Amino acid sequence: MSEVFLGMPTITRRTLVKGSAAIVGTSVVASNFLFKSLDGVAIAQETTASGPVEDFVATTCWIGKQDCGMIARRIDGRVVKFDGNPTNPRNVGTLCPKGQGQIQAMYDPNRVKWPLVRTNEKGVSGEWRRATWDEALDLVAEKVNEVRARDPKMVLWQKGRSKAKDFYDDAFVKSTGISKLGHGAFCSDAGYRALEYTIGTHAVLHPDFRYCNYMLSWGWNITNAGGNKFCWLTWPRHMVKARDRGMKIAHLDPRLRSAGPFADTWLPIRPGTDLAMALALCHELIRQDYLDRPYLTKYTNAPFLIKADGTVARVTVGEGDEAEDVGLVWDEASGAAVPFGETDDPVLEGEFVLDGEKVKTAFQLFIEHVADATPEWAADITGLTAEQISSVASEFGRQAQIGSTLVVDGVEVPYRPVGIMAYHMAQQELGFQTARAMTMVPMLVGAIGAAGGQLSDFTWKIYKNYAKYEKLTVEDPPYDFLLNNSKFFPINTGSPAVVAGVMNDPERYGVEDLPEVAILHMVNPLNSFPSQPEYLRSYLKFKFVAVISPWLSETADYFADVVLPAATIEKYEGPISATDQYIDAVTLRIPPMEPLFESRGEIDIYMDLCERMGTLYGEEGYLAVVNKELKLDDTPFVLPLDSKPEVRHIFDQWAKSQGIDEGIEYFEDPQKGVYVKGPVSPNKIYGYVADPPFGGAMHRLYGESLLDAQQQMKAKGAEKIYWQDYTAFPTWRAPTMDASPAEYEFYLLSYHQIEHKQSRTSFIPILAELAPGAHLDINPEAAARLGISEGDSVRVESHNAVTGETRRLTTTATMLDSIRPDTVAMPHHFGMWTHPQNEAQGPSANEIYFTGEGYLANTGDQSFHVKVKVTKGGDA
Amino acid sequence: MTKYAMVVDLNRCQGCRGCTTACKVENNTVEGNFWMHVFRFEQGSFPDTEMSFLPRPCQHCDNAPCVKVCPVGARFKREDGLVLTDADRCIGCRYCELACPYGVNYFNWQDPEKAQYSVVDWKDSDLQPVTDGVVPPYKNPDLDELWGEEQRRTAGGGHAKGIMEKCTFCVQRVEKDLDPACVETCPTDALVFGDIDDPGTPISLYLRENRTWQLLEEAGTRPSVYYVGGTPPSSELKEIERPKATV
Repeated sequence: MSEVFLGMPTITRRTLVKGSAAIVGTSVVASNFLFKSLDGVAIAQETTASGPVEDFVATTCWIGKQDCGMIARRIDGRVVKFDGNPTNPRNVGTLCPKGQGQIQAMYDPNRVKWPLVRTNEKGVSGEWRRATWDEALDLVAEKVNEVRARDPKMVLWQKGRSKAKDFYDDAFVKSTGISKLGHGAFCSDAGYRALEYTIGTHAVLHPDFRYCNYMLSWGWNITNAGGNKFCWLTWPRHMVKARDRGMKIAHLDPRLRSAGPFADTWLPIRPGTDLAMALALCHELIRQDYLDRPYLTKYTNAPFLIKADGTVARVTVGEGDEAEDVGLVWDEASGAAVPFGETDDPVLEGEFVLDGEKVKTAFQLFIEHVADATPEWAADITGLTAEQISSVASEFGRQAQIGSTLVVDGVEVPYRPVGIMAYHMAQQELGFQTARAMTMVPMLVGAIGAAGGQLSDFTWKIYKNYAKYEKLTVEDPPYDFLLNNSKFFPINTGSPAVVAGVMNDPERYGVEDLPEVAILHMVNPLNSFPSQPEYLRSYLKFKFVAVISPWLSETADYFADVVLPAATIEKYEGPISATDQYIDAVTLRIPPMEPLFESRGEIDIYMDLCERMGTLYGEEGYLAVVNKELKLDDTPFVLPLDSKPEVRHIFDQWAKSQGIDEGIEYFEDPQKGVYVKGPVSPNKIYGYVADPPFGGAMHRLYGESLLDAQQQMKAKGAEKIYWQDYTAFPTWRAPTMDASPAEYEFYLLSYHQIEHKQSRTSFIPILAELAPGAHLDINPEAAARLGISEGDSVRVESHNAVTGETRRLTTTATMLDSIRPDTVAMPHHFGMWTHPQNEAQGPSANEIYFTGEGYLANTGDQSFHVKVKVTKGGDA
Repeated sequence: MTKYAMVVDLNRCQGCRGCTTACKVENNTVEGNFWMHVFRFEQGSFPDTEMSFLPRPCQHCDNAPCVKVCPVGARFKREDGLVLTDADRCIGCRYCELACPYGVNYFNWQDPEKAQYSVVDWKDSDLQPVTDGVVPPYKNPDLDELWGEEQRRTAGGGHAKGIMEKCTFCVQRVEKDLDPACVETCPTDALVFGDIDDPGTPISLYLRENRTWQLLEEAGTRPSVYYVGGTPPSSELKEIERPKATV
């Protein structure tokens, strides 16, 4: 009703046809993008003389990964609802169940209400006394500084998710000089490392949904979880639009549940065999001659001449400081090897003689490498049929339309409307090389960075690891506790599981100095990461553990000395990207209420902590790093280095530095809230037309430095289990778990349900009601053979093929036809115990996964695969 | 004349239950009551299986069996198509629940405050200064208001023990010219709501451009909810991932 919203126009979606050219707010965005935003104008303040006061605040979701824009509706200052912010390109006025349900989390009286100090021993459930912020912060500062004075690296800052990197990872960690550990080893880092190595991007794989016609959804949990870079919501929005255009999806996953009804073809692949599948696709693309030769010769190292020892034949070009070693390629016209770049048309395939030595092009070696990777060969390994594999390859090659171009916003771009979406499936023992092999599939058809083709990061700015990986260094011990440059993991993700292994047995890994103090930021390793026994031992070794979290995590319960209560959404945080990849935008998290109880925003907490540690002020201090990261240096908005600002003021300065005259008020305004910069240029999206193309990275089909690392590792006495996957091309081998005895007949997977976010939501009642607890999905055919029916209590026992150790849990069987009969699966959100809602939710699969050798990739990333046996019975 | 209806596009629905959750927060429904429920189904045997989703709000039937059986006129159909329950009139006889073929009616067995996710103590004394003791803390004052020309308490005002409640198409939002909460939040725009008497509305366009079907068309209830894509549910479907409560 228009009279409710004083002075506001009341166009809504219901009264306006989709696609009408109504422009509200920013005018740079196409009208159909504003489809949802038309609701956004019906937001204003209603004030009546006697009734409650209704108002609205723009903010940003906190519960998930991708930080969707929200509008909080308030009654007398009390938030009664979160809705999507229509002006945010990322979610365009929509929210997922978690976004809606987090209102219960905000009000949850089971949050940590005030600082807690432990009063009992560690390693068991905590007993606590209430402390003041002053006491708690003084204690943390004292313990941290005690260790920092000796060696700052022995203080470990461990994060689960960091929602204001500039203030946490950068300002806090850099200004204090301490060590940092992330969660990527349990997420998709094997894929990140593979892409950094292969094409230089800091990301995994996603297609250009705007133009893609054929997508391999490779282990993508389409209807339940995130994807490369974004959380869940944005990708499905892109996907349904692409399907409206007619995009087809081939879904490779042991479970169909992930795709729901969105798989045009389901290929129920056996867990852990994706590398073989990718090699077979490469084999078929080569056999059917679906090759983009101009791409392969111009932008990849495929034409490089490789010597018998596996090294690239090189020549020094230039002189003095400008001298550099350049790979040689074969020039057909001159019949000689020339430095790469000196011929427009190097030979892609063949064997030649160079200085009396036989050399082959890298591509020739690749052809030979995949010569035996026939669909029939892969069928045996993957459990698919040769016809299925061959037909996917044919379709991928045919649909790639090699040689075609498309004009996008006036820019002519190579057009290859095929791509892969892959994310967490990289977390398998062969994950790094699997992601590399998968990347080679779109490489062969020239789809990397093409319109409709294979995208990765949202930028073609090359990540620092690309250059670092040109030559891998394997040093002698002693190593740091992350095992950087070690003979174990020369490419190293920084894995909490590896650190736990090192802390439990430092001698084995040649490590002398172990971290002594830990600060845990929004992370719950004991519950969330494989595997619990390792953490139960390693966290006890910390002399002091401070936890910053809104809830008492299980890790805090067992190991925290001090718990500092963080606010949930009620805080300033950012800056937060609001892009959907095609439209550039930025926003902030704005507190829709004051922080509840005695909780505080993390930026406040870190500034106070730094003040006490003596690291807040001065040229090297926290504030100086904030100035640098927010690019406030050399602007009128630079923060003084000698006084502690309000967090709101920092963001006010930042907003003004961005050219937003209203400052922070722009972001607090429910009609704005998001600063939309406009469409992203094709030159930023598509690698071919980036300047320089692909950010200047030569795509590494051939992994010379991987092979070199293998040789260095061998020379330093590393065992085969560490070096075996350091090969120039991805090379199939059976995963270690396959050596478990035959009675461990099932592969166990764990998966994400849309109602939950890792272990951050399972205690939110409104979400727990919809996805209440642990269960084991099992195919009815397999279940019948074992005498198991729906709802039966079952015992799941895992086996470690390296150590022989077994682990068990008990849960409830759920019949699911849409899962391979040799595979069972569990949701991964449960197994917690500190919140009353956790009661009877059942266990986490992480209790029976293994970490360590055989269950880590060659990059230290965790595998979420293990062989298990399932028997009826047990106490559910 | 305005005539409200809803389209559920199963070609877009991800089965995420964002609609379910948005409805529960907006309408403050108690545990176990799903005015908007999303079924998840599978059918067939490995490897020839299919999965499907089915959001199911009240169908707001033009020939609503629940209205006919209500002995006190509490359940009624408005001129704009909304089928609503007058909380001040309902006597909790549950005839509507029996008459409805869609299972969308919920009887309030408990005191609503006790049924409001009481594993959490919303009366916690440290929460009082923020919420003033309201349960749930996100209590929506609009639900107690009188709505429509009839000025009846229809917006989920039935959160009282012993009476019936169901989806209202969010009458309290519709009267402010907003979409129902489920439609507003749907991440993939699978839900469309609006006036089908006006040919210019998005929903009218949707209905013109797509083939639709309705739940239990043979029952003659003439629902106001139209499905696009997918197929009507059959006995071949097996429900998976049921919520904790029976719905």
